[in-house]
Amino acid sequence: MIYILEDAINGILMGSIYGLTALGLTIIFGVLKVINFAHGSLLMVGMYVALWVVSFSGLHPYLALIVVVPVMYLFGYCLQDVIIKPIFKAEKDVREPITVIVVTTGIWYILDNLTLLIFGPQYRNLPDNPLKGKMLEIGDMMISVPKLWGFIAAVSTAAAVYWYFQKTRTGRAIRATSLDREAASLMGINQYKIYNVAFGIGTATAGIAAVTLVPFYNIFPTVGVLFDIKGFIIVVLGGLGSMGGAILGGIIIGMIESIAPQFMTATWTEAIVYGLFLVVLFVKPSGLFGVKYDW
Amino acid sequence: MTHQNIKKFSLALVGIIAFVLPLVLRSPTYLHILVLLYFYAYLTTSWNLVGGFAGVLPLGHAAFVGIGAYTSTILFLQYGISPWIGMIVGSILATIVGVLIGLPTLKMRGAYFALATIAFSEGVRVMIENIDFLGPFKLNGPRGLLIPPLNTGLANFLFVGKEPYYYIILIMLIMALAFTYFISRSKLGYYLNAGGEEPEAAMALGVNVARAKLIAMAMSCFLTALAGTFYAQFTLYIHPRSIISLDLSFEIAFIALIGGRGSIAGPVLGALLLRPVSDFSRIYFGATLPGLHLVIFGVVLVLVMIYQPRGLQEPLTRAFNKLLDRFAVKTTMEDKK
Amino acid sequence: MKILEVNALVKDFGGLRAIDTLDLVIEQGQILGLIGPNGAGKSTAFNCIAGVYPPSKGDIIFSGKKINGWKPWNLCKNGLARTFQIVKPFSSKSVLYNVMVGSFVNTDKKDVAEEKALKVLNSLHFEDKKDIKAGNLTIADRKRLEIARALATEPKLLLLDEVMAGLRPAEIDELVQIIQNLRDSGITIFLIEHIMRAIMALSDRIVVIHFGKKIAEGIPEKVASDENVIKAYLGDEYVVS
Repeated sequence: MIYILEDAINGILMGSIYGLTALGLTIIFGVLKVINFAHGSLLMVGMYVALWVVSFSGLHPYLALIVVVPVMYLFGYCLQDVIIKPIFKAEKDVREPITVIVVTTGIWYILDNLTLLIFGPQYRNLPDNPLKGKMLEIGDMMISVPKLWGFIAAVSTAAAVYWYFQKTRTGRAIRATSLDREAASLMGINQYKIYNVAFGIGTATAGIAAVTLVPFYNIFPTVGVLFDIKGFIIVVLGGLGSMGGAILGGIIIGMIESIAPQFMTATWTEAIVYGLFLVVLFVKPSGLFGVKYDW
Repeated sequence: MTHQNIKKFSLALVGIIAFVLPLVLRSPTYLHILVLLYFYAYLTTSWNLVGGFAGVLPLGHAAFVGIGAYTSTILFLQYGISPWIGMIVGSILATIVGVLIGLPTLKMRGAYFALATIAFSEGVRVMIENIDFLGPFKLNGPRGLLIPPLNTGLANFLFVGKEPYYYIILIMLIMALAFTYFISRSKLGYYLNAGGEEPEAAMALGVNVARAKLIAMAMSCFLTALAGTFYAQFTLYIHPRSIISLDLSFEIAFIALIGGRGSIAGPVLGALLLRPVSDFSRIYFGATLPGLHLVIFGVVLVLVMIYQPRGLQEPLTRAFNKLLDRFAVKTTMEDKK
Repeated sequence: MKILEVNALVKDFGGLRAIDTLDLVIEQGQILGLIGPNGAGKSTAFNCIAGVYPPSKGDIIFSGKKINGWKPWNLCKNGLARTFQIVKPFSSKSVLYNVMVGSFVNTDKKDVAEEKALKVLNSLHFEDKKDIKAGNLTIADRKRLEIARALATEPKLLLLDEVMAGLRPAEIDELVQIIQNLRDSGITIFLIEHIMRAIMALSDRIVVIHFGKKIAEGIPEKVASDENVIKAYLGDEYVVS
């Protein structure tokens, strides 16, 4: 019994980190109405950046945030401004620009394989990592410390972004654009600028997720793909565009992954996750938590 | 000669070249590359029925290739049923599965459909990787299935050289193209294009958009699964990660988008441009620069989407027509002399 | 003979009542005009009749059949066609292609559909533009294309949603003439319009709605002088009495 509880807690912690990786996906979808297939690759880029920062400066891994967050924000901002914006403009009349989805797929291929070309396929880890294998003992249970920090990061990031969207001027402009981009642009909001900012914020949250992952996860060029597919599943479970839904959806996936192996072969859990995804998609496409979107 | 005649003539010329090529080109490596090129062009043409004409973005077609390959291979290995029959059985199975997936998802907007097809395809792969026996059928899990090259001959879809495979896939490709041409000029083609572009307007004009898309999906899945059997018989070895991979699904979509989705020539054009990049970069740089061809794919895709969102067939058709104009003008002038 | 009958139609969006117990009757061969200030519920009423939204309450009867909750394509097959206020052409296709989508409703053969489409284009003096991409048309031609596509489905009843908005006076006169010709050819027409000159000239009867409720009905002259109508359009303070 204690094992199941321990697994459940570690599942919640890991799941919240999944949720954090999906948070950016859901923010970008909410505003741009585009699924960013490059999101996992952005996470991967964030992990490499964090790795360099820590390796060169010798700082505590979490202090890498100071560099990673602004770098990733700028990276996302520029990516949207330089590559995605022209396509948006060209397909202004198209309600659902498939070409934009496709371009993010192209970016995914470029980032992953460029990383492979430059840094090679080998797995990398943080050098002299102070958090390596650190456990917190509560009674008989062992809780992973870096995952606990990940959980804290996930919840506070979601809360901070939520606060930003509710309280600040730019945040409200972002929400207005996500509700009705035409009305917003009539009110004098520059929708492309808002897209840039939203993409930047989405990428920055991927950077935060990257920093929390680096202390206990291997870094390699295709690491993003794992999180990409999980991210898609999470945002559909939680409701595309819902931030709270992303974190909760992540926790559900994390719990399935940690508890299910008690009852079956580990490889089957993946099948369960896909099955759950398809069931939700067919039965309740607005997500488990009932976010209404114009589908 | 009129434009129409020149076009027919050049089309016939391309066809004849394709048929005599194996007589000239004796290298098995090049023949192998060509077979795969046609295979991809065929898959993309099948994908195009739903991804191009119906205006949605399926990203899991590898699953249907897999269903076709596994069905015919299992029937052949365990029951000695000719792959030609297994091919049809697999395609019917793929069609049923495709309709079941399409029924709820084709009504939703594109993003959900794209995600659902990815998840479905990955789900099928994980299932097969985890199952050794499905009832009486031996799937052999992650180890895959090996087809021993015994009893070669037409009846068993097994040949010693590569030439027979070359002709089979070439004929399959021509038939798929002819079928697409026929569909694009039929009521269904009009309905698919209309529903893909402006669903509300199409519905008001009497088009049951979801049903048209579903029919397209069914046809696309049927054709795709046929290629699965071909692939199994050609490579003689299938395993989940080789055949039901996201890479295959995405490559099909990339070829269509770069060539020009929704057009008949687009998939062939896309395959002609991208396959050699992939094959030759793998041959020459595979060891030193892994993933180079995928970077090239990505860059080409992004550039094409920015500058030619309808794919490369559009500017190329325009250039070809311009060439014809100049040619036609020249000949009429000469006639006058 | 009544071709369309709307009985006590109600349409709610969440807590908002967009249409409130609306009654309408259109006689075969008539032109009925529907007017009202912005946001009065005109387009919502159209969308309920055309099968875009199911009504919350009430009945819609078309050619003697109750059509509540019918899908747009089935209504179209049964002879009810519509245009959209915001035009929705199939932009990447030619004008002829656009119209053929409509004419495929009653045939499976491409030649037949093409012939019918050309006939419609001829009747609208549009045949010279048949090979132009719909995305490259002017606003006036896009509106005309909307009508052409709807006509190609050979409707008994045609719903026209602000087909004259944004047109120049000469273009409006031409369109008025076209609509009159359509009526003479036996098609019943139900139109929403903001251009008063056009609606007064065309309509046999006019229905005025305001906040989803019918406030006046009758021949154009009577409606134009109705006190409630003037109030609705201009506000209370402008009424001199």
